[in-house]
Amino acid sequence: MATPFPISNPPLVCWNCHERTSGTHFCPGCGKVLQVPDHSDYFFMLGFPRRLWLDMGMLEQKFLELSWKLHPDNFVNATPEEREISLKRGSELNDAYRTLRDSVSRVEYLLAIEGARKEGQAKQQAPPELLEEVFELNESLDELREAKAAGSDVGSLRRRLTTAEQSFEEKLKAVDGELQLAARKWDQTLDAGADEDAKKRVMSQLNDLLNRRSYIRNLVVNVQKELL
Amino acid sequence: MGRIVGIDLGTTNSLVAYVDAQTAQPRCIPGPSGSTLCPSVVSIDPDGGIIVGEPARRRLLTQPERSIYSVKRLMGRGPADVQSELMLFPFRIDPSSKHVIRVKLGDKLFTPPEISSFILRELKNWAEAFFSEAIDRAVITVPAYFNDAQRQATKDAGKLAGLEVVRLVNEPTAAALAYGLHEKQRGKVAVYDLGGGTFDISILKLISTGEGDIYQVLATNGDTHLGGDDIDNLLQAFVHEQILQTDQIDFSPYGEIAQELRKELIAIKHKLSEANSATLLFPLPNGKAFVHEFTRGAFEALIRPVVDRTMGPVKQALADAQLKPSEVDEVVLVGGTTRTPLIRRTVQEYFDRKPHRELNPDEVVALGAAVQANILDHGVKNMLLLDVTPLSLGIETYGGAVAKIIPRNSTIPASAQELYTTGVDNQTGIDIHVLQGERELAKDCRSLARFTLRIPAAPAGLPRVEVKFLIDANGILQVGAKDIRTGEQHNIEVQPSYGLNDADIERMLEESIEYAEQDFAERQVIEARTEAESILGATAKAQGNPNAGALSSPERAKIEVSIAALQEAVKGNDYKLIRHNIDELNRATEHLAELLMNSAVQSALQGKKLAEV
Repeated sequence: MATPFPISNPPLVCWNCHERTSGTHFCPGCGKVLQVPDHSDYFFMLGFPRRLWLDMGMLEQKFLELSWKLHPDNFVNATPEEREISLKRGSELNDAYRTLRDSVSRVEYLLAIEGARKEGQAKQQAPPELLEEVFELNESLDELREAKAAGSDVGSLRRRLTTAEQSFEEKLKAVDGELQLAARKWDQTLDAGADEDAKKRVMSQLNDLLNRRSYIRNLVVNVQKELL
Repeated sequence: MGRIVGIDLGTTNSLVAYVDAQTAQPRCIPGPSGSTLCPSVVSIDPDGGIIVGEPARRRLLTQPERSIYSVKRLMGRGPADVQSELMLFPFRIDPSSKHVIRVKLGDKLFTPPEISSFILRELKNWAEAFFSEAIDRAVITVPAYFNDAQRQATKDAGKLAGLEVVRLVNEPTAAALAYGLHEKQRGKVAVYDLGGGTFDISILKLISTGEGDIYQVLATNGDTHLGGDDIDNLLQAFVHEQILQTDQIDFSPYGEIAQELRKELIAIKHKLSEANSATLLFPLPNGKAFVHEFTRGAFEALIRPVVDRTMGPVKQALADAQLKPSEVDEVVLVGGTTRTPLIRRTVQEYFDRKPHRELNPDEVVALGAAVQANILDHGVKNMLLLDVTPLSLGIETYGGAVAKIIPRNSTIPASAQELYTTGVDNQTGIDIHVLQGERELAKDCRSLARFTLRIPAAPAGLPRVEVKFLIDANGILQVGAKDIRTGEQHNIEVQPSYGLNDADIERMLEESIEYAEQDFAERQVIEARTEAESILGATAKAQGNPNAGALSSPERAKIEVSIAALQEAVKGNDYKLIRHNIDELNRATEHLAELLMNSAVQSALQGKKLAEV
């Protein structure tokens, strides 16, 4: 890996031997499983830098490797304290894998730990360039609901909504594509050793794309529900 | 610490198993009768004695109001949930039940975990007799689709039986473990598990690594109220209706006749797994007999709705695992109900693959539980199980909606954090409602718990409390909270929406000690007495039958002598003597039984002729 590992987890004191320890999962001194630090980092936990392109095969391999050691099955005969600690670390591992495995939740998580995730009112507000189409869609949805309630023929409304739904699914795909591009840009920014401002600009772009994606996705889900 | 056994606490039958140290193979432990199956039936004596298993099953016929079967259907459920169940099952639920169902057996009330604990205690006794050592730890299997409350109820039952439940393992996963050990399977495996009362489908990925084999569950789905019982209900409703039409007899679905009919219909169902037709011959209270020939085809048409109901979960599990049916390498059938040919055919056609059923479907789950118990006892060496939570965990948000915080099919243990703050100055509490389920509104999901997060008085928005929701490796929720500003941990008392609280369990544990002290011989006496009562009752009834007149007087005298001897033996505490006299009476009444059987057949045939005229 070309980029240096960002060491985001500072050394902590082992709960068992009370020594300062530099281990990731186990204390190099006494060998006990380490408690989960206050500000844990899923990337660090699985041994990856904070990049957005991850080799899925390597990620799975790392997850399985750590599961052998951290799964609660290993700690059934341990003391209640160690069992408790291992349960938290075991669940942290599963949470990390679940989050990083999915390309969208990975971006969300990266922005969250970088302090750059801002949902704001974006969930409720339509992106300006979509305003007109969203307005039409909502109107069609209302008409469909009314027609359903009145028991009248909904055939043509359904067709109109299906077309609209397809159009928004296309847009969802487009956003996903943009998100991939922006993710690549993030990795390039890291590789180039760019300054904080440059990183912030990419993060802000990623954040906007996530909000836009979430808005469109909600629309699609709502229409699908109505079309069922 | 002693060894850990594996227990399958089933709707119809329960089993206990262990891994043989020499062969490294799992084995089921037989009970006193030699059978490894313990019917999941409990009966309570008027003097408070508890009878479990086969003797209790016989009592379903003679003392239905003191006996209960299929109690698993009630585990972790509230009174409102079981209304539909009450139409079809002879459960007598105490009307004052609120969060926990209380079932009336005789004049006493019991919760479902207590009743299940009696079954667990019986299996514990089997294992203790087998090993000649105390057993106090167990792995217990649960349907994969069991929710938090149903899992917690199972864990409570273990505790009440004097067992530390080291792990709850999902039944299809346990079956996959048993098969994996047996067949060395690889790739994607679908486990279709249709038992007495529950249906599960699990999709697993079997991975070989340098360290050993990993069993990773990709997705699971199911229905915790779908199983062989439903087939029996359909058959019973069908025959009930027929009898009503032909003989104008309408009997209570709870009483003795219904129980006897159910028993006969279950036998018919079993026969139809092998034969192409089976005839029901059922004596009616009016002296006639109801006769009906079931063909395989008619039977299959009748039960198809049950089979069809399993396919929705199968499709959803595959979709969640992002697989097509053709991408599944192996299919495994588990649960006694998969002996039904229609089910085998349906599954085979859907996956276009011959399903595995080499291992006894009644035993395979217990065997897998023993494998997992062995792993836990000796540490993860060459096998690791990664299971998932079957249902999404959510919290209620503004307007009664649910925010999903841990999606279904997440590998467990799994956790999620939520940050809470106050909306008004000096607010000291935030109400939190935790739910399980896939629906979007809180009212459509299963309520797990409600609690109030206590917060020190401060200006609005200043407190920051992080609540951690953690689903442990048993699939059970734990909640913890931390004040972000002070780093202080909060204790959270979570009151379960359904089920027992800690005080309930303490009280029941105290009460259960009186049941626990019965030793082996005492239980044998109780069981022998129960059997004696049942045969004495049956004999008295048979003697009153007009056809008994054909008996010779020496035969009649022999019966009277045997009855008197058995009645005398029952007064004592020698279970061997009771058993001996039961056998004597059985021999003495052989001819009587024959006469009655013939008369039933004749009246059946006569009935038929009359109808044909």
